[in-house]
Amino acid sequence: MKDVKRFNPPKKEIALHKKFFNILSFNLNLIFKNIRNRKRSTVIIILGLTFSLSILYTASIWSLTSQKIIADDYVESLDYEMYIESWQDDIEIYNEMYDFTALDSLVEQVDWIFPAIALFNYEDKNDTYEWYPEDNQEDMDNPLSLSNGFVITNRAMNRISLNLEIEGNSSMQSGEILISYTQAKQLEEIYNEEITPGYKINLAISRRIPNTDRGETQFQDFEIEDTTFENYTVAGIYKFVGHNTIIDRLVGGGATESAGTIFDSIFFPADVLTPYDFYRMTNSGGIFPRLLVKTNAQQLREQGISNMPDNLLALRDRIQVSYYHAYCYVLDHALAEMTNEYARAFGSTNLFVPTIATAVFLTFFSTQITIKKRREEISFLRSKGAASSQIIGIFFGEFFIISFISLILGIGVGILLSALIPSFGQNQLFNRSLFIQYFQEIEISPYDIEILTILILGSYLGLTLLNVIIYVRKDIQETMLVTQKGQWILELSVKILAFVLTVAGFLFFLLLEYRKLAENSLNYGLSLISASYRALYLFIAVLFFSCYFLSLGVNFILRNMKTIYNRIFKKTGFFIQKNMLRIRKSFTELTFFTVLIVCLLTTIIIVRSTSIHNNNIEDDYRQGADLRIQSTIPVNITKFENQIQSIEGVQNALGFYSIKASVRLYDIEVFGIDPLKFLQIGRWIEPSLVGMSAETALTQLANNPLGVIMSKFLVERFRKNIGDPITIQDIRGGTYEPLILSAIINSAPGLGVSHGYDPKMNRQVTEWVLVNKEIIRGLGINNGTLFLAATEENADIEYISEEIKKINPFAVINPEKINPDYIGFFIREHIPPANNILLVGAIFVNIIGIVYIFISTDFILEQRRKENAVLLALGGKQSKVRKSIVNEILSFITTSFAIGIPVGFLASMVTLTFIKPLLITREVVPMTIHINALILIVMIISLFAASLIGIIPIIRKQMKYEIVHELRAIV
Amino acid sequence: MEDAFVSVNNLSKTYVSKGETLNILCGTSFEVSEGELICLLGTSGSGKTTTLNILAGIDRPTSGEIFYNGQNINEWTLDYLYDYRLKEIGFIFQEFHLLEHLTSLENILVPLLLNDWEEDDARERSFNLLKQVGLVNKAMNLPNELSSGEKQRVCVARAIANSPSLLIADEPTGTLDSKTGDDIMKLLVGISKKSKMTMIYTTHDPYLTKIASRILVIQKGMIFESNVKNLEDVDYDNIIFEKNNKGEIL
Repeated sequence: MKDVKRFNPPKKEIALHKKFFNILSFNLNLIFKNIRNRKRSTVIIILGLTFSLSILYTASIWSLTSQKIIADDYVESLDYEMYIESWQDDIEIYNEMYDFTALDSLVEQVDWIFPAIALFNYEDKNDTYEWYPEDNQEDMDNPLSLSNGFVITNRAMNRISLNLEIEGNSSMQSGEILISYTQAKQLEEIYNEEITPGYKINLAISRRIPNTDRGETQFQDFEIEDTTFENYTVAGIYKFVGHNTIIDRLVGGGATESAGTIFDSIFFPADVLTPYDFYRMTNSGGIFPRLLVKTNAQQLREQGISNMPDNLLALRDRIQVSYYHAYCYVLDHALAEMTNEYARAFGSTNLFVPTIATAVFLTFFSTQITIKKRREEISFLRSKGAASSQIIGIFFGEFFIISFISLILGIGVGILLSALIPSFGQNQLFNRSLFIQYFQEIEISPYDIEILTILILGSYLGLTLLNVIIYVRKDIQETMLVTQKGQWILELSVKILAFVLTVAGFLFFLLLEYRKLAENSLNYGLSLISASYRALYLFIAVLFFSCYFLSLGVNFILRNMKTIYNRIFKKTGFFIQKNMLRIRKSFTELTFFTVLIVCLLTTIIIVRSTSIHNNNIEDDYRQGADLRIQSTIPVNITKFENQIQSIEGVQNALGFYSIKASVRLYDIEVFGIDPLKFLQIGRWIEPSLVGMSAETALTQLANNPLGVIMSKFLVERFRKNIGDPITIQDIRGGTYEPLILSAIINSAPGLGVSHGYDPKMNRQVTEWVLVNKEIIRGLGINNGTLFLAATEENADIEYISEEIKKINPFAVINPEKINPDYIGFFIREHIPPANNILLVGAIFVNIIGIVYIFISTDFILEQRRKENAVLLALGGKQSKVRKSIVNEILSFITTSFAIGIPVGFLASMVTLTFIKPLLITREVVPMTIHINALILIVMIISLFAASLIGIIPIIRKQMKYEIVHELRAIV
Repeated sequence: MEDAFVSVNNLSKTYVSKGETLNILCGTSFEVSEGELICLLGTSGSGKTTTLNILAGIDRPTSGEIFYNGQNINEWTLDYLYDYRLKEIGFIFQEFHLLEHLTSLENILVPLLLNDWEEDDARERSFNLLKQVGLVNKAMNLPNELSSGEKQRVCVARAIANSPSLLIADEPTGTLDSKTGDDIMKLLVGISKKSKMTMIYTTHDPYLTKIASRILVIQKGMIFESNVKNLEDVDYDNIIFEKNNKGEIL
């Protein structure tokens, strides 16, 4: 055989790396070209992803930064966090404890405070002078005046004065003292002279309080000896204005307590006393000194804000383990309250979760639509021989680049928002310094960023890729109808299973976990707050599934409303029904999303309006009556009641007598009231009392002078029944004879809850009881700080307030904040309240809803260009075709709204069973659903109208296409 | 000119594509009398479909006039034009253009409902029309369940639903095999004769010209009258037409 010389063209050798870069650059070019050609969908996807990511990043950055700032600021606002005392009266032991405590890494400063008793107008009294009871002593025309006296360093005074309003000078020089306003007023009556800063005064110091139970009622029982001081100058006159403060706990009193001592104390400067004077004041035996401990805020919040109370308690344990005789009082309650409030405030940002979820869905649907629109492109690529992996690779590359851009933007926007949002704080005005502070102190957790990015972008890219794979596969197996049907059944089964599991999980969590926690919690604390938002996450999942299945129902209804369409839309009814029948898949998505948006919007608005309404009712209940009068100094109750009642427009006034006591181990506050007046003046509600009306309970108390009304907790704790005797101990003046339990109370107007802590009220103890006022008057207590009054209808509150102010310039009438030191107000300067978050969330949901309806309708109508062209070619009028489309959209929007609103209503009822801890501190007044019809209507109508109005340009655009062009395009 | 059922004067149509001007029709004229069966013969891209679209009021000419029953349709408002398309014209598309989500019966229903018929009456008429085109047994079938011939029958029924005066068929057999094509043509001719409709159809198949009462040949945007009755055996792609001084082909 003849050899045939074949021509072999020389192969061009291409290096592997060159080949790789060629393919890479080709694919990248294609990817960037695709992104450029789809500007609108790219922008929408980037916006959706950026929005979702930035909100999550903001929450993380803002949370970390604000907890740092809040913790530092709050700790700085406290005078001290702990005081230490010992029953060993040995100054050396105190010195040891001082050194031990000061060296602890958690401690910033330790200060001494030496308590004593100061006596004024003692000069002309002999040793047998009867001083007790103080308000009925031997010579009331020339009485002895008692006060707490404290020797304190200027450094400590600087911290304590955070809680004082001082007229004059707080920094004391040698021979100067700081006295309370109450003491100044008492001395004015005794000396018949005005006491102002600069006044010269004589006083004696006792470091022993006589025991009146043992009959120590004479002047000599103070054992004053030579500790008298003459010609001391009043450097300043203070009023106590604090709440969460160690000095208040150390000294006692404040707020509502009639017999409070912080109102009535004096301070000596330890730094400038002569050693002799210092010795005379502090070393005469009796009352032990105390150590005041200020912690380092940065150290205290080291492991996060929620660990602050534990860190403080650990310090207490360290001291008490080392010094068995030491007693440490810790302000952990205030810190726990702060962490609770912080958790609540931040927990409420979880109310953004539905908005983020809808934004993610919007992004996902937009991507899906983009992929659907590109089915032809997939077919083209396949026809040109592209492998499935190549097509998937190109799509993946595009969405990866989009995700990367969104990630960069998300981080940028997240950082900006986390400084910007808190700088708008509570008063919604931009605070530049807060913005700069946040920006400078910004804390970013790379771990959080990583997790959130994986959560959003990972799931987004995963789902998108899955979608592309499905489309690429569909292209190959389009005719395999049996497989598709099987796949549909499988998909539906998986969805139903997931739904059932989610509902079961939610119910399990709500009924077992959450309920158990809620029943065992007095206040809405950290654990309940976190349980609340876990329940919220689960419920959102339930809601998503519910809306999906409901949308299937909505579509079924829409497909089978032929008679209604014919009746309402006459001739276009046929076209509407037929269109409803055919666009099943796109329509399911559209109705699902619309039902979901409407449902979420309704839920958010109802939850918000219920929360606002409930807060208002609770605030009214806390206020107690038409007028709440809080006097910053105790005043004679009977006299002030009469003065208030004499003002035109006031019907009746009631003063609260109060004193601290205990029931077994529980510290309580005993309020003495005129029961019938309280019944008439107070804004009582149905569940104020347990098992009886307020009228019955208070009438019984009026008829039974030894009656006592107690909380359900105490009654159950001591297994008492109505009519049983119960003893109140440690009351000033000795043990009570048994009182008779006459009623059980949950809460009272003006006083708040009878058991548990209500941080919005300015009470320190967590338990109070009501007795007839005569019991407390019998102890010699006639002064009080809290008053309620009822006014006549249409009374001029402003005029009445002015008149009360004339009588008592230290009265605060209807205070906007009953407890201005409520930590919630402080935190709200950094984190907007839940209601604002809900409102912003509702607006976002609304916008997302409108955008989605536009995108989706545009897509659906785009798919129908062929049909519209045919209809027009057959003689259909543009107006008729347009009307048919509008009617169709109107039908689906109306039906979706008609389903979404009641479902939203139901959802809000369920939500309100577990969301309370995120909205309120505790349920003082039972929360009942309230609908702000105006906002609901405005939101719903705006969504409805914006959807319809926004669709008009889309329809007009569809009608602008030339028939011939469209018909030719079909070929 | 006033006596003609349809009269086309100096019709031209120009498209601009990618900056290039394409002259599809170049000032051509012809007339159609009532009841005539006109065949418009031409190669692909010669302008047949454009001519029919303009006649049907689906497209607008760049210049020229079209008189229908003595009225210039170019001067009509859009509403008039819709009515014209709906009531006067029956259009059969080469690619059927049936609405895929509607059954055969419902596709025929569409022009009737657009013409404000009551649905029940329209259904009855559609059913009768289906009977007329021999497709009663496929009334409830969707287009994707029909053969091409059956689809074209549905198109015929849809086109005559509103009893138009002018039936326009754009290559009605273009996508069909010859047997089915013949059947469709027979059906069309039968209907047009029975209903005394004027019919214009296009084809590139000389074989289908023999049933026409008159043949118009379209070439390079110009339409000429052909006196040749049977063009079946003529290689019309290479034909050289001779025109008389009136512009008619000899």
